[in-house]
Amino acid sequence: MKNVLTFLCVIFSSFYALSQDMLVEAESFDNPGGWVVDPQFVEQMGSPYLNAHGMGKPVENASTKVNFKKSGTYHIWVRTMNWVPGEWEAPGRFQLKVNQTVLDTVLGTRSGWGWQYAGQAKINKKQATHIELQDLTGFNGRCDAIYFSTKKNTPPSSLKKLTAWRQEITAEPNAPEDLKTYDLVVVGGGLAGCAAAIAGAEQGLKVALIHDRPVLGGNASEEIRVHTEGIYGNFERILTKIDTKHYPNGSAEAKFDQQKRDQNVKSYENIDLFLNWRAYDAISEDNSIKYVDARQTFTGERKRFTAPYFVDSTGDGWIGFWAGAEFSYGRESVDTYGEHWEEHGELWSPKEADNAVMGSSVLWGSTDTDTPQSFPEVPWAMPVAKDYAEVNGEWQWEFSRNDLSQIDDAEEIRDHMLRAIYGSFSNAKKDEVNKNRRLEWVSYLVGKRESRRLVGDHIFTFNDAKEGRKFPDGVVIEKRAVDVHYQTVLEDEKNPDFISEALFYRGPQYYIPYRSLYSKNIKNLFMAGRNFSCSHAGLGGPRVMLTTGQMGAAVGYAASLCKKYEVMPRDIYTGYLDEYLNLIEEQKYEKIPTSKK
Amino acid sequence: MRPIALVFLLLVSYLCEAQFGSAIAFPNNSKRTTLDTSPEFFVLNWEEGTVLDISQTPMSIMVDSVGAQKINILRNKDRAPVLYSSNIVTPVCADGDCKLMHITLYWTLLGDYAGFDRSVEEPLTKHDHDEFLFTDYWKLHELLQDHNSILKRRAIDELVTKPKPSTIEGVDALSGATVKEVKESVVSGALYSCYVAWHLVHGKIKEELKAYTLGQQNEDMLLRMLNSAHTNYQMYALENLDQGQYKANFPRISELFKSGIPLVRSFIIKNMADMFVQSPSTMQPFWDALPHIDINTRSLLLQHIDTASEATVTAISTQLGVLTKNQLLKFLSHLENKKSLSAKILENLRRFAASSKEKNAYIVVQFLEDYS
Repeated sequence: MKNVLTFLCVIFSSFYALSQDMLVEAESFDNPGGWVVDPQFVEQMGSPYLNAHGMGKPVENASTKVNFKKSGTYHIWVRTMNWVPGEWEAPGRFQLKVNQTVLDTVLGTRSGWGWQYAGQAKINKKQATHIELQDLTGFNGRCDAIYFSTKKNTPPSSLKKLTAWRQEITAEPNAPEDLKTYDLVVVGGGLAGCAAAIAGAEQGLKVALIHDRPVLGGNASEEIRVHTEGIYGNFERILTKIDTKHYPNGSAEAKFDQQKRDQNVKSYENIDLFLNWRAYDAISEDNSIKYVDARQTFTGERKRFTAPYFVDSTGDGWIGFWAGAEFSYGRESVDTYGEHWEEHGELWSPKEADNAVMGSSVLWGSTDTDTPQSFPEVPWAMPVAKDYAEVNGEWQWEFSRNDLSQIDDAEEIRDHMLRAIYGSFSNAKKDEVNKNRRLEWVSYLVGKRESRRLVGDHIFTFNDAKEGRKFPDGVVIEKRAVDVHYQTVLEDEKNPDFISEALFYRGPQYYIPYRSLYSKNIKNLFMAGRNFSCSHAGLGGPRVMLTTGQMGAAVGYAASLCKKYEVMPRDIYTGYLDEYLNLIEEQKYEKIPTSKK
Repeated sequence: MRPIALVFLLLVSYLCEAQFGSAIAFPNNSKRTTLDTSPEFFVLNWEEGTVLDISQTPMSIMVDSVGAQKINILRNKDRAPVLYSSNIVTPVCADGDCKLMHITLYWTLLGDYAGFDRSVEEPLTKHDHDEFLFTDYWKLHELLQDHNSILKRRAIDELVTKPKPSTIEGVDALSGATVKEVKESVVSGALYSCYVAWHLVHGKIKEELKAYTLGQQNEDMLLRMLNSAHTNYQMYALENLDQGQYKANFPRISELFKSGIPLVRSFIIKNMADMFVQSPSTMQPFWDALPHIDINTRSLLLQHIDTASEATVTAISTQLGVLTKNQLLKFLSHLENKKSLSAKILENLRRFAASSKEKNAYIVVQFLEDYS
């Protein structure tokens, strides 16, 4: 087992006095086999976890070796969750193998995240203990951690108590000890974050780009596969390094653009890329961020990042949220910014504010083969899919509901989409015409459209787009129609609740001011991406990835001027706007080397 | 076998007629002065015995090469406006081949699509000159009902060009969503006719018709809309009735809260938020509807749980299975804030917690653990 893996054998006081304990984090397994590390919901359920995403075929075992300090009989608990409790067998069932023994208990059957008792095993400290997770279904069984103890005291399930328990059992100090210092720390490696890092680096900044996935691009990555939309505006040179072709959403062609994007970002010597690192806190003093703390999603290793300036391109606005930045969520009332559109009334902008937002998508596809392909019965999926039958899913496969937060309930949203997909495919398979069809690809990453929107000095609204309002600091340009999505079930309850429709407003070219790209109250925080400063309807146009990429590039250049004059983001607008606009103009073309002039 | 087959054919033809109306087109409508039967393809309810007088309005639709097509207003026996119509003749051109399309279109008072009558002398034809079958007309009717059709935002040229298929291995099923959407929504072989008809129905005339109606709007008209089964009429009435009218029409509004589409329900509850505090007992029909309404509306309703009577809270404690996880948490948080829980509520909670069929039973188990 890797040295860096987080497992500790401790003897600790009080409740667990004199017991021998071992916590093994599943995401730190030596060999995850066919299981995938899923770090999307750390803030809600406490940790990255292993997910048996086999699209209906059991995945290969995950395995690891652990050295215990004391021999004996250990009780074993697995932190897991039955992701669809109900009158059926749990969809994500698995078993635990300890050395040569497969424990009888079928895991993944408890409701809600928590510890399921797996049984007992004899452990010999003289030889490494071999642990395996054996998936039984291929339908997203999940394992967060395995806890061994010589005493039969179940660890806490509630998140608050669990966090303290984990900290205690791993003897983790409050702050990461490894401190990294940069000119600019960019958190979130989607299009906006990549563009911010490149622009900053090109201007000589030492940049840290922190991203919680193994590949860059966020929704444009080969893991989610949404093509980039919008225009390049002032930043074609940078954005063509990281964009995609206009293939259908979900296309496997995403992998070529993935290679291009990763290579291009990695080619900058002064970008330190932290892939598979997820930020978990931002510490601010006097309305200024001092540190961002991040954790490696596999090993649990932690680092603290410091810089004079930070970019929140996390999509969910986490850095701003942790630092205390003002933010908004949901739909404003129609009178808040006067965003009425007669044609679509309540669907576009409601009389009273509410929690409705555009939903998240999970793209998927199937392929025809030469031979009959079976697909398991999925009774647990049918309450969602009902009689809907389909063999692939594009952007309309989208889910939002006003009792669900796109941030706090993201796992439930993703799981709802998985039920919709597996159920609809199962229905389609009952048609003779699809007998040779098999699932080719289902994303397990939830592709979000809208979540927290951090508040800047200017809040970009639908009216700014509709009127093509010009700003002295209009650094981002877009022509794309403003489109806001809604769930079709709102118009007819017979419709599936996981299909959306878009309302398009075709208007003139519009501009996003620089003042929408830094926080109103956190002095050194830029934002780029869907968490920029806008209203719900204002997000409708510029939420697509070339536009968010433009935002990223714009803040990267602004950060370079901030460093040059040792000023804050707002000061660029008030004192250095001409130089900033000139810089954006000059960067459009590759500079001719002096030797060739 | 033969007599059975004959009976079957007659039955099918009878059922088709019952469901879709006569398979025979109506005679040309252009010279009519009254409408005494429902348009053949129609989205509103047509009451038996209705006779509508047809008269011209100053409005018209300009059609290339043909000129202005007059818009008529159709009034009931009380002279109240009910519908708009226009007997349209318009050229449809595809690949340089043009022909005339004859169709009588109907709009609601708000300018929404209401239906159409086909012309018996000049049936619609496809690109290959085959006449529309009844199913084709029906598909056209469905297309015209979609006010947000993909035809709205695409030029006709874009719709006939297919994107290049993917050459990458795997995922051959992911053809463009747009192509699929168009194919599914238009009559096969009649894209141009569908495109022209959709843009006639949903063009600028919509706003003109609505503005013309607004000039004649009165309370009677709003109340007819409120009592209509047509969703857009309901929404328009709900948006335009004042507080006094809301109170006067409470029975219909609370009935709509149960029977309306989710959008209508949500609008009603947001618009009546103050009533939950001012007059909790009046809102009882809303609480009674809780198990029957959609999830989004139920969330909005549960925002008012603190104004609900003890009897209502007890009733909800027997309906926990219909609540989503977050709705259940909201309800339990309300219980948590109460000084004490009645024996009846506790019994209902325990019964739910003990159920193996309830997916959220564990949440109530945790609540009871903390509560005890």
